Amino acid sequence: MSSRKQPKGKIRPPKKPNSADAQFNDNWDRLAQAIREIHKKNASILSFEELYRNAYNMVLHKNGDKLYNGVREVITQHLEEVAVSQVVPAFPLSGASSSQTNPNGAGGANFLKVLKTVWEDHTTCMLMIRDILMYMDRVYAKTANVPLVYDLGLDLFRDTIVRSQNYPIQNHLLEVLLQQIKLERENEIIDRTNVKASIDMLLELTDASTKDTVYATDFENKFLETSSEYYRVEGQMLVGEYDAPEYMKKVDKRLNEEEQRVRHYLSQTTEPKIRNIVEEELISKHLKTVIEMENSGLIPMLRNEKMDDLGRMYKLFGRVVKGHDEMKSAISDYIRELGKAINETVTSNTTAEGGNAASGDKQTGATVAVRWVQEVLDLKDKFDKVQNLALSNDKAFQTSFNEAFEYFINKNSKSPEFISLFIDDNLKKGLKGKTEEEVDSVLDKTITLFRFIGEKDVFERYYKQHLAKRLLLGRSVSDDAERGMIGKLKVECGYQFTTKLEGMFNDMRISSDTMTDFKEYLDKSVLEKPKLDLSVTVLTSTFWPMNLSASPRCNLPPELTKACGTFQNFYLGRHSGRRLTWQSNMGTADIRGSFKARKHELNVSTYQMVILLMFNDKQDGESLSYEQIKGESDIPEADLKRNLQSLACAKYKILVKEPKGKEINPGDQFNFNNDFTAPLQRIKIQTVASKVESEGERKETREKVEEARKHQTEAAIVRIMKDRKTMEHNLLIAEVVKQLQSRFMPNPALIKKRIEALIEREYLERATGDRRVYNYLA
Amino acid sequence: YSNFYRDLSNMLTDARDHDVIIQVGENQNRKELRAHSNILRARSEYFKIAFSDGWIIKKNDIIEFKKPNINPTVFEAILEYIYTGEFNLREKSVDYILQLIVACDELLLEELLDCAQDC
Repeated sequence: MSSRKQPKGKIRPPKKPNSADAQFNDNWDRLAQAIREIHKKNASILSFEELYRNAYNMVLHKNGDKLYNGVREVITQHLEEVAVSQVVPAFPLSGASSSQTNPNGAGGANFLKVLKTVWEDHTTCMLMIRDILMYMDRVYAKTANVPLVYDLGLDLFRDTIVRSQNYPIQNHLLEVLLQQIKLERENEIIDRTNVKASIDMLLELTDASTKDTVYATDFENKFLETSSEYYRVEGQMLVGEYDAPEYMKKVDKRLNEEEQRVRHYLSQTTEPKIRNIVEEELISKHLKTVIEMENSGLIPMLRNEKMDDLGRMYKLFGRVVKGHDEMKSAISDYIRELGKAINETVTSNTTAEGGNAASGDKQTGATVAVRWVQEVLDLKDKFDKVQNLALSNDKAFQTSFNEAFEYFINKNSKSPEFISLFIDDNLKKGLKGKTEEEVDSVLDKTITLFRFIGEKDVFERYYKQHLAKRLLLGRSVSDDAERGMIGKLKVECGYQFTTKLEGMFNDMRISSDTMTDFKEYLDKSVLEKPKLDLSVTVLTSTFWPMNLSASPRCNLPPELTKACGTFQNFYLGRHSGRRLTWQSNMGTADIRGSFKARKHELNVSTYQMVILLMFNDKQDGESLSYEQIKGESDIPEADLKRNLQSLACAKYKILVKEPKGKEINPGDQFNFNNDFTAPLQRIKIQTVASKVESEGERKETREKVEEARKHQTEAAIVRIMKDRKTMEHNLLIAEVVKQLQSRFMPNPALIKKRIEALIEREYLERATGDRRVYNYLA
Repeated sequence: YSNFYRDLSNMLTDARDHDVIIQVGENQNRKELRAHSNILRARSEYFKIAFSDGWIIKKNDIIEFKKPNINPTVFEAILEYIYTGEFNLREKSVDYILQLIVACDELLLEELLDCAQDC
């Protein structure tokens, strides 16, 4: 530290001990002089102890107010001088239009620099003044309720410099600040320290009326207004010039820049406000335009799987209120559109195929179903990926996507059947060369589609049919796989849904035990053994898809009838009170055929066996007419046509049909094809295992479903009424819908009809007072 | 706390590492008191500012400070209070106590001022 000259002798006046006024003047003159020296940066010649003592004496002798006002005056005078001599000469050229004549803002930057110096000088001086006036601050300012001297200095600076009444300093300052920011937005390098100094200054000054900072009252609003205008123009320009990904990158950049700007030289309180402006002008106002940009908007991004761009859009648009909603609805519409296209390929395929559906080309039908499901799964995969990689697995988006899938999947009235066929396809033995794990993962995905089906009862019906065929024809991959699938369905729909399916498995197991017992029974029996091996599967009629009231008729050959009788005696002997009905439409038979070239073992359906056995009695070349076969076998017409097709029109032509052709028509003649040859010894005549239903079958299925729904609806009504005893019509309908909607969407008209039917059958009655209320009748 | 009081009191009277010389009083009644700037800064706002970069006066690394308007015996009591937080007013005259009160007021030693006024 430097030593310094003793100031004492220099400024000490002669003593006038008896005059208080003289003492005051003496004290004040010294202080005023000292403050001037401080302003001249000459403080090193001053003695703290003396100046402090002077101020102390003044306050002690009740001259605090004179001191305070004197200080105010000296500082004001000084600041006026600073304004004239330093600030005004630094005004950017040509005043208000400086931004035009000073495109690079050099004049403005210099102005800020001068202001920075002026401000720093002022605060430095005020700190020293505060030091020597500490006694005044502590003792006088407190009791007189006036600002401390440092704060007085800030107020004086505010009123004399920043908001000078005499010079347009304020206008210049705001204009220069806004101009500097504008220059920076246009990628010019500005001196941020100068800008920051001015901003900090405005932040330190307080507006007397609002008690807010001068930054907030004078600067911030103007800044936000000009920013709003700036980004309004920029938004329009960018939307016109750039494609969607580029646009979003620009916006991202702008948001970043504004955040950085606030962090570097504005107040943090401005951050949310300027962010809102950029978001409003660059995102909200152009949401739709960007989403719908041709060749680069949301849909093209999805089409080309631009995950980065999608992710950017998700993040960016999430900043504004409607952003995600707009995205969601655009993507959902797109999913619906793609789904509609998938549905259309199916309808065009099935109608094109409709012509030859009856011609034995059944495989195509199943292929359409499998392809439909596969395409829907692919679509699902695609959007799962989008959801995962670009949308942060946003639940709201997932829900909206699901709705879109649900919508178009249920637009295809065949979707329950298709999905069941797809599962069938995957659970069939050795068809695809897929590993068990692969199949399992495909089935898991299929379950997600199953969730979207509205008519789960229809699905159940098809699933039962397809499962029955797999079980009876022994075509299942494995019990484990089947049970695994049923397990998955159980998780989705609960116990009730799968009980019957599990019952089918039990029947299969019990039947195999029964057959073992039957063989033993035959060995021990004295009866004549059947001339053929009979294998019977006993199916519980309520579990399996069969219609007892319209049980298929068929005249079986005598040997078979006899064998059936033997089994029936055995079985009914063990289980009294049961009724066995032979389902000849579901069986298969192994028979041996002697042809000219060689013998073949033929694996055929029971119906085909019945048809072929008729030719045993015929001479070579003797033919049977369609009508003869129909009459003698009594096989239902549709089944007969289909089985004759398999025998005469498919790959292996065991029968020859006259006239040739793919259709079976009344009047056709059939001959045993003695010239038949085939490389394999064992031949399987393709029975139609699974296929898309024809329109007739569909109608039939539909009727069965409707019938089942009636029962389920009635059961639900009775269940609810039994519990509640009395219920109002609308409430009852709502409750029934609630209970049934996991299986299908019952329409209120149907429910109303069922209520009426139940009233007729005296399960319910209308309440006497109120016709809208029902009572339960025990 | 008797040791604490004694040790700090000794620091004021015995130590050789003073870095402040305070010239108290005027004319014949003048005395040079020695003290530690860090303790004065820590205990008194007044000295904190007086010894701050803007106002400090040093000669050969020793801080010089003059306090002509306070009686040396009064200032000694003030120093004792600054160092130890205690002071002894027993057998002191009313005039002395009045002088002490005035000096405390000037130096903004409010705590000491309260105590002296209670006497």
